Amino acid sequence: MEKGLTVRKIVIAGVLGAVAILLGVTRLGYIPVPTAAGNATIMHIPAIIGGILQGPLVGMIIGLIFGITSFLNATIPLFKDPFIAILPRLFIGVMAYLTYRGIRNLNEYVAVGMASFVGSLTNTVLVLVLAVFRGYLAPGVAWAVAVTNGIPEAVVSVVLTLAVVATGMKIGHWGRKKSKISGDF
Amino acid sequence: MGTVIEVEDLRYTYMENTPLAHQALAGVQLSVEEGECVAIIGHTGSGKSTLIQHFNGLLRPQQGRVRVDGQDLSDPGLDLKGLRRKVGLVFQNPEDQLFEKWVGDDVAFGPLKMGLPLKEVRDRVRWAMEMAGLSFEAMKDRPTYALSGGQKRKVALAGVLALRPKVLVLDEPTAGLDPRSRKELLGRIEGFNRREKMTVIFVSHNMEEVACLADRIFVMAAGQIVAQGTPREIFGNREVLLQHRIGAPETVEILYRIQGLGYPVDVGAYELDSAAAEIVSILRPQGVKSHGPGI
Amino acid sequence: MAREFELTRNITVGQYLPTGSFVHRLDPRIKLLACGILILAIAFCNSYGGNLIVLAFSCLLFRLSRIPLRYGLSGVKPAIPFIVILAVLQLLFYGDIASGGRVYLEYGLIVITSDSLRLVIVSALRFIEIIFVSSVLTLSTSTTQLTHGMESLLKPLGYLKFPVHEFSLIMTIALRFVPTFAMEMEKMIKAQASRGAEFGTGSWWQIFRRTKEMLPIIVPLFRVAMERAEDLILAMEARCYTPGGTRSRFRTYQTTFRDGLTLLFILCFSLLLWMYPFPY
Repeated sequence: MEKGLTVRKIVIAGVLGAVAILLGVTRLGYIPVPTAAGNATIMHIPAIIGGILQGPLVGMIIGLIFGITSFLNATIPLFKDPFIAILPRLFIGVMAYLTYRGIRNLNEYVAVGMASFVGSLTNTVLVLVLAVFRGYLAPGVAWAVAVTNGIPEAVVSVVLTLAVVATGMKIGHWGRKKSKISGDF
Repeated sequence: MGTVIEVEDLRYTYMENTPLAHQALAGVQLSVEEGECVAIIGHTGSGKSTLIQHFNGLLRPQQGRVRVDGQDLSDPGLDLKGLRRKVGLVFQNPEDQLFEKWVGDDVAFGPLKMGLPLKEVRDRVRWAMEMAGLSFEAMKDRPTYALSGGQKRKVALAGVLALRPKVLVLDEPTAGLDPRSRKELLGRIEGFNRREKMTVIFVSHNMEEVACLADRIFVMAAGQIVAQGTPREIFGNREVLLQHRIGAPETVEILYRIQGLGYPVDVGAYELDSAAAEIVSILRPQGVKSHGPGI
Repeated sequence: MAREFELTRNITVGQYLPTGSFVHRLDPRIKLLACGILILAIAFCNSYGGNLIVLAFSCLLFRLSRIPLRYGLSGVKPAIPFIVILAVLQLLFYGDIASGGRVYLEYGLIVITSDSLRLVIVSALRFIEIIFVSSVLTLSTSTTQLTHGMESLLKPLGYLKFPVHEFSLIMTIALRFVPTFAMEMEKMIKAQASRGAEFGTGSWWQIFRRTKEMLPIIVPLFRVAMERAEDLILAMEARCYTPGGTRSRFRTYQTTFRDGLTLLFILCFSLLLWMYPFPY
């Protein structure tokens, strides 16, 4: 992989950053889940995909854009704190990239799925650690949120990332090799 | 044969009650008969897209009335799902909307959402794909990302046809296609109308297309229908064309020029054959014998 | 009902509201810097007194920039339930951690002390202040000014090999594409609804169903984004854009005396907030 920012990396970071902003400012960035928080965010998915496709730097920049958007648009007081809104988001794409690189040779799809899972959990865990550190949440509450919100959010993000990657990118086949309506009746 | 779509004094304002409010429809009157092929033309921003989005209930009338197949769209208890099956809407550049990995799955999305048994879904997908010009057996297990632009558009079209709509509404169906795919697609649309007896409503900027497909034309400007009639009536009326700055098909343009030079031609003869016949008729004035073949 | 599709038309990232006021005419770099400093000071301000002063000051900022205060309040309104929930959580669970000060109430595990009460009130106040300050910034500065300001401010980082210009280009591209993608998304939602897609029908515990309902929009959105990216890459490479080159700008900013004075004032104000031992 080339070092530094190529034209390709700049443009892809910008375009995926736009998607992150868009998901952040419309209600589409949230999927309701059965937890206290009530919503699983999917705004971090551009950062994960950016990290997987174009490396850690791109992932980090998209994370930064996501962070700034979530800071400016926050309706949850937690995210009106610039530390909590921005810092953790920088690591989503980086962790996703590292995971992906680590297991890519085993199976591309498993690697993408795991990268998405890890990236999503990175977000949850770092946000909560900082929230506890900054005194917004008690450790007990943070644990509860980590389990009840973090896990469903990670699952949602794996499903979406795999769907995006599988339909758009030409990396092998996994799962069904044919259309649902194929076969005998 | 009855009226399928009836629109009375329809008004629609985007972002109502905000400083950015913008009136897109300002009292539209229109009716479409069953089995007709109707074209809606007009400049960008004249309200065409807003109007057609009322036909399948994506937008509900703010003022005025829209009736589709006897159902009133203002009725709060309206069966939206049923309506959207009855009126298939194909958006501009519909190929953007493909999201399944396999062609067959994407076409099957609508029927599967309707909860039909798999066998029936399969039959519908087969029918829709063949109608759109895709071989079911050869294409159903192809990945969507590997298709050409024209093929993707056919898949998207098949996805709407699989709902088996009574009315097919298309927003600039041929935009961005190469001439060959354009011609093929027009032929297919004509087929839906003539052979499958679907009512077809399409928006177009291409007057050749309008001339060769439409039974009737509605001209929109500033959120209203400003003229309507058969292609002959619309293209044969210079005043209407000039007033609303509608480009006419090339054939009509040529006939107008010839008329301008003082020759008596029927400018309403917009079809290629009849336009040619008109031109030939002035080249061979009555009473003068033609000098052999070759003209 | 019809409104459900109109949502994406209302997108504003930083809803610029030009009134031509003193605040609007400030150098965007100075404005960004001052805002950053102020927000940092707020984030570390733990006293009642300090927070009340900032609250008053941020209201004053609205007057100075001739923007109606309701624009700021509209940012606070949707947050009220969260503020309440957070406050209750903090009250209930922080008694034994923030155990300093007087104990007001002790009932089983629930302990409310003056410190935990302070935590609750101060974090709510802080939140409102930050909303106000950042609203004034985004309402009085256009997004172009913001990106350019950010680029200039990050320039010193360039010496540390941080790709400042590239970063600002990325921000410009991102902001440029938001409205485009919003239109695409609106079209996508309508197109999928036309062929029978439904959104948000699953009950709230059916995560998979809810997620699956998003696929017809999310998957095309990313694909369209990547297609646009490919087009833009081609266009940029065809015009021989090379990252890292020095380039000139059509519009330059001039820092005036007034800008300097503003910055100095904010700096002193923030230092005061941070250092001054407020009695409450």
